[in-house]
Amino acid sequence: MPELPDLNPVIHGKLRLACLSLLSGVEQAEFTWLRARTGSTDGNLGAQLLKLEEAGYVTAEKKFVQRKPQTIYRMTESGRDALTQYVQALKQLLGGAI
Amino acid sequence: MTPETQELDLQERLNLIESMIAEGRRSTGSWGWTFVLWGVAYYVAIAWATLGHSNLAWPVTMVAAFILTAILASRLGRNQPGRTVSRALSAVWIALGISMFVLLLPLGISGRADLHTCVAIVGAMLGMANATSSIILKWKMQFACAIVWWASAVAACFSSDTQTSIAFLAAIFFCQIVFGIYGMVSEARENKLRGATHA
Repeated sequence: MPELPDLNPVIHGKLRLACLSLLSGVEQAEFTWLRARTGSTDGNLGAQLLKLEEAGYVTAEKKFVQRKPQTIYRMTESGRDALTQYVQALKQLLGGAI
Repeated sequence: MTPETQELDLQERLNLIESMIAEGRRSTGSWGWTFVLWGVAYYVAIAWATLGHSNLAWPVTMVAAFILTAILASRLGRNQPGRTVSRALSAVWIALGISMFVLLLPLGISGRADLHTCVAIVGAMLGMANATSSIILKWKMQFACAIVWWASAVAACFSSDTQTSIAFLAAIFFCQIVFGIYGMVSEARENKLRGATHA
């Protein structure tokens, strides 16, 4: 019987998973857009995005647009690989469960 | 956690990934207003040029509409995510604007622009941009607009001055004003549905 894969704990958190999935469909996204799409609070979203950033799955760029601070997030190649592997592992686990 | 609840949790995560990826791809800015704005700008330029007999009517109105579009677009699109499709569409419309300006302004200044030539050029170019945009977005309604613009371009080559003017005014009404309002209504409906889904 083939060994079932482990799920990446950095991606496994629902909000982190949602953020990474959202970023995989766009080139870049602003913090407020991610907050609106996920329906999360500033503090929680910021903390989860920081974890993804520390893992090297996203990059953050802070800038000022018309004197207002903006943080732009982009998914990195390793983030894309990690999400792909996570989805494959999920499918494998679900296949095993069925 | 029982195997059943674990399976449900995993399935939920898979669904979350799919819905979020789709959400990111679906998100577009609101662009219906640009069609209405440019439709109104064409009418203002036509009215000014016809009633005021001014050579400045077209260049001044077009530059004003361009500045207004740039300001409003930068404000409305500030929080929108960057997408390849959005950039491709912007490229088509920006290139169209520059091409029309670069071609029609010297034609006007040199006095070689007549009504038929201008309507044929504008109709063909707007038909091309609408068709490109509609193919990228898979939006049949916009392709219908492209056909109307192309028809006005062909009509301008064969019809009288009055018929050409009527064809041009009708194309502006249907492809800019009506289509723009339709786009705005569709966008509002889509946003409402999305809001209801998130609630």
